Amino acid sequence: MILREIEDRELVRRARRGDIESYNLLVSRWEKRVYNYLLRLVSDREDALDLAQEVFLKAYQNLGQLEDAARFGPWLFRIAHNEAFSLLRRRRPEGEPEGEPAEAGLRYRLYPVEMALAVERALNSLPVEQREAVILKIYQGLKFEEMAEALECPVSTVKSRLYTALDRLKELLAPVRASPS
Amino acid sequence: MSCANFDLKAYLLGELEPNRAAEMRAHLAACQECREEFERLELTRATLLVLRDEEIPRRIAFVCDAAPGGSWWRRLWAPGPRWAFASALVVSLAILVHGMLRSAPPPPTLDAAALEQRISAEVERRLQSSLRQALAEAESRQQERFQQALAVARQQWEFQRKADLLAVEENFNVLKKRMNVLQVHLASNWEGGVR
Repeated sequence: MILREIEDRELVRRARRGDIESYNLLVSRWEKRVYNYLLRLVSDREDALDLAQEVFLKAYQNLGQLEDAARFGPWLFRIAHNEAFSLLRRRRPEGEPEGEPAEAGLRYRLYPVEMALAVERALNSLPVEQREAVILKIYQGLKFEEMAEALECPVSTVKSRLYTALDRLKELLAPVRASPS
Repeated sequence: MSCANFDLKAYLLGELEPNRAAEMRAHLAACQECREEFERLELTRATLLVLRDEEIPRRIAFVCDAAPGGSWWRRLWAPGPRWAFASALVVSLAILVHGMLRSAPPPPTLDAAALEQRISAEVERRLQSSLRQALAEAESRQQERFQQALAVARQQWEFQRKADLLAVEENFNVLKKRMNVLQVHLASNWEGGVR
């Protein structure tokens, strides 16, 4: 992991000097993670891809503002978070309660399909901040501090969102796990 | 120490310091209630992980070569235009020198044809040298990029392999636990039937 951090830092340094290939290498390292983070937040592949492109463009334009090049990952997720929430706000006018964004339902190829769908439904039923905390921790493997950095909030807030979400998911997914296959 | 002092979720998520994790393991070995709760959380996480990452439908890449925050002369002297600019400069200078020498009346002791030949040879030599240097640099850059891409591909492959192994293990554990539950059900049904 340390080696990876050094490499990212070096690539950021080169990209800042205008080496576009180094930046493309950074993109190739992070695009899948950023795309999947966005996909699980906005539940739409086209939107997720558009947002991912926008995220990497903004990151390139603002590379000079990244204070610690080794923190490229959390910084990138912060940009992704801002982009995703901007889209979610546009989609859902202020004051309107959150609903099931199930229309754009994702399809996962993994067996058992029913379980994947149940997980997807359970995730989508969470408030978006809690869902985001689960995505960043469980699927993207960020540490609490990195999550706080990406979401620009205290670690205590991150933990509170995540723990509440885990308790809720534990209840929601218990029948799925208990049901005979 | 009471159960409330143990953060099961932080332990589950790998966020405890090693000494706190050791305390947690000892507590879990001693407290059945916490052990059961931890198992439920572990199963929840394993269930969540049935959703796998998708491949990105289209790769993202940039072709613009404007350096963010770089000065104009640095952009001008970027690796791409550098050699084209240098070659153009050498050729221009050569033409200029050549033209000046041609237009000036030849000194009585200098052979004009020999001079022209020497200039042409010099221009040729410098062009060849620039070209060789540019080629060598391009090759070296290409090699470096290839090595970087290879390293990334290796890392990604290794990461994917570990993730797959983890998923298999977790799915296997879930399956095993289900089998246990099923066996318990079957056993209780069997006992009920016997009675």
